[in-house]
Amino acid sequence: MSLVQTQDLTKVYGAGDMAVTALDRVNIRVAAGEFVAVMGPSGCGKSTLLHLIGGLDRPTTGKVWIENVSLGELNDDKLTALRRRKIGFVFQFFNLIPVLDATENAALPLMLDGTNSAQARARAREWLTRVGLEKRLTNRPDQLSGGQQQRVAIARALAAEPALVLADEPTGNLDTRAADEIAGLLRQVSDEWGRAVVMVTHDPRIAAYADRIVFIKDGKAVDETKLKQDGSDNAALVTGRMHALAE
Amino acid sequence: MMPIQLTLAARYLWGRKLRTFLTTLAIVFGVLVIFSMNILLPTMMQAFATSLQSAAGQVDLTITHKSGETFSTRVLDQIENVDGIRAASGTLERPINIPANFFRNANIGAVTLIGLEPKAAQALRDYSVKEGRFLRDTDTNAAALTAGLADTLGLKLGDEIPIPTAQGVVRFKIVGIRPAQALPGNEPVYVNLPQAQKIFGLPNRINTVEANYTTTDAAQRAQIERTIQNLLGPDYQFGGLGTSSELFASMQTAQTIFNVLGFLALFMGGFIIFNTFRTIVAERRRDIGMLRAVGASRGAIMSLFLAEGLAQGVVGVALGIALGYLAGAGITALASGAMEQFLHVKIGAPIVEPILLIMTIGLGLGVTLASGLLPAWNASRVTPLEALRPSQADVEKGKTWSKKTIAGVTLLVMAVGGLLSQNISLVALGGFAFLCGLILVAPALVKPVAGLFGALLTLLFARQGTGDLAQGNLARQPSRAAITASATMIGLAIIVAAVGLITSITGGINAVLAKSLGSDYLLVPPAVGVWSNDVGASSTLADRLRGVYGVGVVSTLRFASTTINTEAVNLLGVDPTAFPQVSGLNFIQGNPQTAFAQLAEGRTIILNGIAASQLKANLGDTVKISSPEGEQSYRVVGVGSDFINTKIMTAYTSQQNLKRDFLKTEDILIQINLAPGADAAQVEPRLKDIAAKYPQFKFISGKAYIQENQRLFNASFSVFYIVLFAFALPSLIAMLNTLAIGVIERTREIGMLRAIGATRKQVRRTIMTEALLLAALGTAFGLLGGLYLGYVMVLGMNASGMYPLTYSFPLAGILIALALGLIFGVIAALFPARQAANMNIIRALRYE
Repeated sequence: MSLVQTQDLTKVYGAGDMAVTALDRVNIRVAAGEFVAVMGPSGCGKSTLLHLIGGLDRPTTGKVWIENVSLGELNDDKLTALRRRKIGFVFQFFNLIPVLDATENAALPLMLDGTNSAQARARAREWLTRVGLEKRLTNRPDQLSGGQQQRVAIARALAAEPALVLADEPTGNLDTRAADEIAGLLRQVSDEWGRAVVMVTHDPRIAAYADRIVFIKDGKAVDETKLKQDGSDNAALVTGRMHALAE
Repeated sequence: MMPIQLTLAARYLWGRKLRTFLTTLAIVFGVLVIFSMNILLPTMMQAFATSLQSAAGQVDLTITHKSGETFSTRVLDQIENVDGIRAASGTLERPINIPANFFRNANIGAVTLIGLEPKAAQALRDYSVKEGRFLRDTDTNAAALTAGLADTLGLKLGDEIPIPTAQGVVRFKIVGIRPAQALPGNEPVYVNLPQAQKIFGLPNRINTVEANYTTTDAAQRAQIERTIQNLLGPDYQFGGLGTSSELFASMQTAQTIFNVLGFLALFMGGFIIFNTFRTIVAERRRDIGMLRAVGASRGAIMSLFLAEGLAQGVVGVALGIALGYLAGAGITALASGAMEQFLHVKIGAPIVEPILLIMTIGLGLGVTLASGLLPAWNASRVTPLEALRPSQADVEKGKTWSKKTIAGVTLLVMAVGGLLSQNISLVALGGFAFLCGLILVAPALVKPVAGLFGALLTLLFARQGTGDLAQGNLARQPSRAAITASATMIGLAIIVAAVGLITSITGGINAVLAKSLGSDYLLVPPAVGVWSNDVGASSTLADRLRGVYGVGVVSTLRFASTTINTEAVNLLGVDPTAFPQVSGLNFIQGNPQTAFAQLAEGRTIILNGIAASQLKANLGDTVKISSPEGEQSYRVVGVGSDFINTKIMTAYTSQQNLKRDFLKTEDILIQINLAPGADAAQVEPRLKDIAAKYPQFKFISGKAYIQENQRLFNASFSVFYIVLFAFALPSLIAMLNTLAIGVIERTREIGMLRAIGATRKQVRRTIMTEALLLAALGTAFGLLGGLYLGYVMVLGMNASGMYPLTYSFPLAGILIALALGLIFGVIAALFPARQAANMNIIRALRYE
């Protein structure tokens, strides 16, 4: 059984003449430890897909399972608890709390889960060290570069030891070098730490770090491409597929 | 076409309805308080003025003695002979307080007995009647009254109306009923002058001369007035009665206090508005940057914000005035009962003076625009580059120990210095410096105070990181938190200070009460303290009481109104031997032994505290007292106060002096002590029997009287607490506003928190903790400020000489403030917490 599975996932915004179908009967599966990139033009529904998988929003029809649990059957509190324990989020604008330092930011999901402060901080420090921020543990977000802030966000996403990390345009607000570092880090999340990663991006170079790419167009999953992480020029391959799909 | 700034302002206001509502509410409340308080007092002042006017009537000239006392009818003869006087008439009129249950059909507080010469009086005014006829010079035991009074008492033409007098109850036959009086005031009862003189024991004396002129030319009239003034000398005055000025003065003081409170409320409103505008600017940096990028000038940006401020100011001021009028009218309606009962003044509809309207509009709009100005200026400094920055809730940067903090600490040190000096002016100045100092150091204290209380709250209930988050949220904008806390501080400081003052006054009063009214029994008139309205008894009553077996000492109080060094003063005549045995004064200067001994010798007086401080007179000084017999020099042999006269300028002299210089022999308050070993159960019924023949007095035991007074005090203070609570309300609005704005501003963060697994409950708890921290901060400052202000007030009261007060620590006030702070914190958090918890996660994450 897959870690993530969707069945005919559909999301319609508005009603009547104003109805817009953002996602149309999408079926995807993500295995444990797999790194999947979701690509497509602006407004194609890729972020909506991520929100539905993450339980941030409810589908109009269709289902999402995370580790065999159907999200539609959970009430708000249970869904929140599932997000806290099973899913880590990484956002485009980092979304760190400006008044908390790196350790406190990373410890947040654990603290919210009731872990005592010392333990939560210890775990946060451990993850910050793994993502290369051992020298920035007490820095506040405004004392960190964009790339460093995103590393804190990744440490935060991993602190609660979730099985799945959802990243929404994690490199959209970074320069090329920092973007590559973050994409590499997400690769590491999958390879070394065994977490599944679903990343929404429109950058073929970043998507090239994934094991598999799901292409979305007009709310539909129109294509899937598997990539080999063996040094081959995946970016060129992805760009080629994108052009082909755009026509 | 509407300029783009106005269009934008309108759209922004409409787009953020909640915030617009909260900001406008702040303005409404500030304006409401200042407007309602200021229409209330003129309304009451007007009631007094109308009373006097109706007493003075339509005549050209009213002459009274400066002392407020009677004078010889010779004065009338002199005036009648002045050129230019068409007609003149002398009257002897005094309000007579009517004891409760005196009339079977109705309870009325007082009537004004007017003794006049019917023929002469009718030459001055029209005394038309509805039924019967007006008085004739030949009438005896006849009275004319108004239809209003006759209806109230159920009396008709030919009936008899009983009036309590010094000689017992006198009955008058009603010969005429006049139309109901149009103006407010006591109902008049007209009798012939000789009869009034007999009742009051004042043969050949009058207390008012009214005259009409032959001319309407202003210059000639002024000339006539000058002639009369020269003829009569400086002891006479033209116009209203001088004794009422005391009440006017105290009402003016009250108005000043209310104005200060109203201003503070507006100030709090200003804080809230300022906070809101500042946040709006912070939040809209990207919009502003974009506007600047597409070519909006700095002026255009400023005018955008000022237009928003003005729009809210106009709506807020209009609503504030409307609600303020309703509040003023409501309170007037509530107060009119008490005013009629205790002061015999009727209150009309609330009065709105045009100047108040202009002032309120000016202040309301002024504060709103001033509050918006600095943020607007800041907004105009935003560079176009800001548009490119990702929006994020700002964290205020800056040194913890800024210049402001240092200035604040300096002010606090100065305030403490003032306190230690014990000099009233320095202490009062220190009070202001203390509040300003607290406001200035507040931002630097936000973090440590939040840390301290945050740790406590985390232990109590804000676990799972919510406490840390709340603390951080508060500390990220220390100056915003500080401004909110300052608003809370002002509200709660007023409460703590006022309760401190009340506690001190109550303590002081209880001590004085026991001392000055500590006799075993009292015969008290209906209006204690407002002696001129009371009808007393001749010395026969006291003599009869002395004759009762078992009675030890009987002391009586007599009254005359006078002016000392041109200030109106109540002069009380005491028996220097008996008075100290049954009652006493709290001496500030001199001592009871020598003072009362000297009171028995020659023209000597004891001043009460307020009189001594107003007259700037001390022990051993000589003061000029005007009396019907001319001006007299009295030597001050002591300064001391009793309970009843504590708020009124009062002097005590011997009853011999009062008889010689003021021709007063009437006892208006009688105190009785039993002889040692006497059986109260046997003596009391006999005393009661004697007292029953004098219904103008209430017979009561000293203990019961003290309890009754304490009950009265508690009742009047409870009303005061309600007013105080109203003043604390703006701090609730300030907190609600800051929290709501904080939630709006952190929308994305809240979305993120919910996304990574914070439950709704956790989000709610974070906001609740934040509110409690904010409340704790404001309450802590409020307690400090209130303790200081309370001390200043007590010191001020002492300096005014009203009460000998010692500062009592206002534990009750502190508990009330703590409770209010806590309750306000919780109430303020309810709505924003709910809003935050119910946020749609995706919309929140996309919020810009």
